[in-house]
Amino acid sequence: MNRLYDSMEPRVIDDDMLKLAVGEQSSQEETGELAKQEGILFKDVLSLQLDFRNILHIDNLWQFENLRKLQLDNNVIEKIEGLENLTHLVWLDLSFNNIETIEGLDTLVNLEDLSLFNNRISNIDSLDALVKLQVLSLGNNQIDNMMNIIYLRQFRCLRMLSLSGNPISEVEDYKMFICAYLPDLVYLDFRRIDDHTKEVAEAKHHYSIEELKHRENLMQARLEEEQVRREELERHKTAFVEHLNGSFLFDSMYAEDSEGNKLSSLPGVSELLEAYRDKFVIICVNIFEYGLKQQEKWKTELDTFNECVHEAIQENQEQGKRKIAKFKEKHLMSLSAIREELEMPNIEKMILECSTDISELFDALMMLEMQLVEQLEETISMFERNIVNLVGLFIENVQSLMAQCRDLENHHHEKLLEISISTLEKAVKGDLDEDLSEDVRALFVDKDTIVNAVGASHDIHLLKIDNREDELVTRINSWCTRLVDKIHRDEIMRNRKRVKEISLYIDHMKSELDNLEYSDILD
Amino acid sequence: MEVLREKVEEEEEAEREEAAERAEWARTEKMMRPVEVRKQETTLTQETLGELEKQLSEIQIPVSAELPTFAKDTIDISALPVSYKTNTPKEEQLLQLADNFSRQYSHLCPDRVPLFLHPLNECEVPKFVSTTLRPTLMPYPELYNWDSCAQFVSDFLTMVPLPDPLKPTIKREEKALPKKYTIRPPRDLCSRFEQEQEMKRQQEIRAQEEKRLKEEEERLMEAEKANPDALHGLRVHCWVLVLSGKREVPENFFIDPFTARSYSTQDEHFLGIESLWNHKNYWINMQDCWNCCKDLIFDLGDPVRWEYMLLGTDKPELSLTEDDSGINDEDDVENLDKEDEDKSFDMPHSWVEQIEISPEAFETRCPNGKKVIQYKRAKLEKWAPYLNRNGLVSRLTTYEDLECTNILEIKEWYQNREDMLELKHINKTTDLKTDYFRPGHSQALRVHSYKSMQPEMDRVIEFYETARVDGLIKREETPRTMTEYYQGRSDFLSYRHADFRPRVKKLTLSSAESNPRPIVKITERFFRNPAKPAEEDVAERVFLVAEERIQLCYHCREDHIIASKREFLRLSEVDSKGNKIIMMPDMCITFEVEPTEHTKKLLYQYETLMHLKKEEKLSRHQVWESELEMLEILKLREEEEEVHTLTISIYDTKRNEKSKEYREAMERVMQEEHLQQVETQLDYLAPFLVQLPPGEKLTRWQAARLKDECLSDFKQRLINKANLIQARFEKETQELQKKQQWYQENQVTLTPEDEDLYLSYCSQAMFRIRILEQRLNRHKELAPLKYLALEEKLHKDPRLGELLKMFT
Repeated sequence: MNRLYDSMEPRVIDDDMLKLAVGEQSSQEETGELAKQEGILFKDVLSLQLDFRNILHIDNLWQFENLRKLQLDNNVIEKIEGLENLTHLVWLDLSFNNIETIEGLDTLVNLEDLSLFNNRISNIDSLDALVKLQVLSLGNNQIDNMMNIIYLRQFRCLRMLSLSGNPISEVEDYKMFICAYLPDLVYLDFRRIDDHTKEVAEAKHHYSIEELKHRENLMQARLEEEQVRREELERHKTAFVEHLNGSFLFDSMYAEDSEGNKLSSLPGVSELLEAYRDKFVIICVNIFEYGLKQQEKWKTELDTFNECVHEAIQENQEQGKRKIAKFKEKHLMSLSAIREELEMPNIEKMILECSTDISELFDALMMLEMQLVEQLEETISMFERNIVNLVGLFIENVQSLMAQCRDLENHHHEKLLEISISTLEKAVKGDLDEDLSEDVRALFVDKDTIVNAVGASHDIHLLKIDNREDELVTRINSWCTRLVDKIHRDEIMRNRKRVKEISLYIDHMKSELDNLEYSDILD
Repeated sequence: MEVLREKVEEEEEAEREEAAERAEWARTEKMMRPVEVRKQETTLTQETLGELEKQLSEIQIPVSAELPTFAKDTIDISALPVSYKTNTPKEEQLLQLADNFSRQYSHLCPDRVPLFLHPLNECEVPKFVSTTLRPTLMPYPELYNWDSCAQFVSDFLTMVPLPDPLKPTIKREEKALPKKYTIRPPRDLCSRFEQEQEMKRQQEIRAQEEKRLKEEEERLMEAEKANPDALHGLRVHCWVLVLSGKREVPENFFIDPFTARSYSTQDEHFLGIESLWNHKNYWINMQDCWNCCKDLIFDLGDPVRWEYMLLGTDKPELSLTEDDSGINDEDDVENLDKEDEDKSFDMPHSWVEQIEISPEAFETRCPNGKKVIQYKRAKLEKWAPYLNRNGLVSRLTTYEDLECTNILEIKEWYQNREDMLELKHINKTTDLKTDYFRPGHSQALRVHSYKSMQPEMDRVIEFYETARVDGLIKREETPRTMTEYYQGRSDFLSYRHADFRPRVKKLTLSSAESNPRPIVKITERFFRNPAKPAEEDVAERVFLVAEERIQLCYHCREDHIIASKREFLRLSEVDSKGNKIIMMPDMCITFEVEPTEHTKKLLYQYETLMHLKKEEKLSRHQVWESELEMLEILKLREEEEEVHTLTISIYDTKRNEKSKEYREAMERVMQEEHLQQVETQLDYLAPFLVQLPPGEKLTRWQAARLKDECLSDFKQRLINKANLIQARFEKETQELQKKQQWYQENQVTLTPEDEDLYLSYCSQAMFRIRILEQRLNRHKELAPLKYLALEEKLHKDPRLGELLKMFT
């Protein structure tokens, strides 16, 4: 059979090939027949074998979204691609192909067993996403750098590795190096690593490994730190007050303000600026702390709401369950009674009773659900009112604090203008300070220029403050709207699901009863 | 009298213990009060005590002669020490004092009963009551505190009803067992109207109940009224009073020696106190007992309230004000002692022997290890451990009627059973037997309740589920069903119920085991498996074996109120025409709360069905195995009941035969070693050193003499020995010669037997002579060597060596 494929043209995976492969797989007697009868959906397939098919190009596999095992060995594949959707894949065999680089595996986070045996790979990389990797087969490739082993240290679950047939396996220290740098490894090149080898290897590479470990630890610590910082910032963002716990806003005001920076070199301005900055930062920190506090409030509000809603739903569900259990008990009794009954008129009467029972159950369940909907609606609107109020209050307070910032800015502007005018007067008189730079001197040519410059600086500052304020208000409002929307949507979804559940059940019961009727008549 | 003696001794024992506790105690007597004064309905729970009997026999003149049945003494009086049979002069003096005291008392209080002062002991010798007490500390920690000590005493005492002084029959006064009312848990009712209705209903029921109870009570009252107690207030009884103060006894209380229960001094059963005594003194109660013992003040130092008999023993504890007790008191006492030293008469020492309780007797507790206590409508029997071969230690029988003829239920407690049986409960009305086991049974049994030991009958067996691999907690059986409850299984099975059809009678000769009852239905329930989504996690599956149906019910999802279910019908693999059926759409009825695509596939259904069929087989096998196991358990239980082996702790050195043997062997070895050691240490100088004054250092002359004496003595012994051997040798030779002479003379007339006899004698005699000769020669050879060896030894002896060296 292999011969047959060898002589064939290189192929691309297409629908026909897949159908054939899937069909072939399930050819055991009964199951095969059944499969033929109704066909198999690609998404129900768990394992797929596509070996010896001269495949050049992987394609059309996106439908196999539940695939666990995929065999693509003994083809002529040159590039790993088209596997992005197979996120449930655990077992992937790409051995005996013509692959040169490892790629396209970034979404296969569940992969445990990967075989790339007999390819043309020269570098081990792009495997970072495969955190569950246990078995890695890379024999008969062109890996020639020992540093590739260090890359494998990140795979904590890796127990089996094969690298024989690579240039590095010729290196004298090959085995010892791997044993030392991958201490959790159990099998190397299909042989168990004995404890003695492990000890010797460890002793041999002790120092370099310690150094490596130290570096890794440092890296880990840095990553963790980074993580903590990111989380902190994220938390601030959810309170809409990020970067307000310092001089960030103030600094950003001056970041694009060239005139302001120039003017700060004027005598007296730096002191003024210092004082201004201090006051400004204090207000910013106020806003920040207020924001965090408010966030706690919203959170508790939301938690309480969720808890109450959850409890109400649970309680309601319990009631529903009780009703159903009661009904079931009665229904089973009446069904068996019907089966035993021989008189036709009696049967009809009983069936009628049963169907009334069913509709009564339906009414009762729907009643319960309506009750719950009403109750929840009320609660939700109450919560909505409260959260909107809270948010409104927050915005108001933030706005008043921002207004304080603006006042400070205005005040600073006036002071700066005064200083500028007096400097201008000095400049007119010609006794300007010698140590002022040319840029600054250029501002003091006439009154318009300097007033414009100061005004421009002032405008930029105000704009920044306004922008920050707008951003905060917009974001919190949209958050609030989204939250409320989500709650409404969830409730609607819940309601629909419940109604659907009830009606499905009722339909089922009714059809069951109908079937019974039918079979009775037949009898 | 033996019974009495036991009682006395045991009470003494208790009292000694109390004394050891250093608590104040005294023996009290119930005051006899005129019957018309008291209107109380009950008297003390127990019959009068032996002491009463004694007292009656002594004091109550008309009755004394009529009590011979009890006075029979089976004790060997001759074995008792002299103190039991005679009185010392001091005791005589004390008896005179007591008589004097008694005379004064009867003069002053003519309407009170005579005092119980000096009953006769088992040797018919009058002894003052206080001298019958001898405080002793026993080596058992249990006897160190009053409650366990009293329990021991009560166990040891056997109550023997006395003949009624008024009527020939005896009336028992019994105390009703406390009845327990369990409170009904409050009911949660939703409708107020319903609640009210319920309340009304409840009230009605309660009213009825009350009425019923009242009637019952009236009936009981009537029944009791029918037997009014003619002896009310006339019984005199001895019990123990523990006074507060020492050993953290917070307040005075009584101990009833028969029940070992403590009673407050306020208890209405105690109508009054006539007198008290301990091992030091005797007091008469001078307080009025119109309100039972409630108003009594137990300040024995107060001569107005308590008239003492002996002055100046260290008992008095007069506290003028109630609060004023403690340190000052003791000073007072001391002063008092000093003042009254000359006047006081000390209580003589107790005449009784010190009580010794062997560990066996202590463990046996009751006389003969058995005790029966009769209660109202109940009987409690107790046995010492290992007394009964089946490990029975106590049995409680409750009766329906007062006459104790109709048994209601029996509870039997066991100990040290190898099958860990702890309690056997037999309900006679329902005939239900329940066995309770302690952990450790080979089949992990916990409770077994049954009516019959026949298999496949009504029974419930509970197990220690942690001791079982399958996590079975309980298995219930009826003739047609078997229900099992599980916990902690990896397959989450929690319940399995099997319904059976009556067994089809098979005519083939196959054994009974291979003919299990046909299974109609198996129901299995499972706990939620958190690893699976709820709609794929089966909660209940029913294999309707007879109907060829399988019903599945899944767990209900968190946000759902309805659980999915699935039913497989027509499981036969061949249709009516004999064609093979694989899977048809109408073979599976499915209800899914959230229908999914893949479960609609026939393939999926087919695979599920195949799996279920396999599971059904397994379940049926499981049921069959459970049935087998039940048979096995029943068989085992029967065997265990038959054999009822008892376990013996390895620490129980007396009963554990193996360890006993081992220990005895060890002891033997020790003994032998000891003997050897003694032999090696035999001192050849000892007999001579003894003659010298002990402790002094030997003089040179003495040492020399000692040496000479020792040597000459040894020489004499050697000569004696040689002479002895020589004498025996000669004697033997002479006899042989005589015999030979006799033979030669009578050779002709001898029968062959006589000749044989003679020849054998000759050979034996020759042998003896030869041996004696050898010994003599050997002795002659060795004697000088032995002599020299002794001389050498004496030279080296550290006691003589130095001196002798200087001497020679």
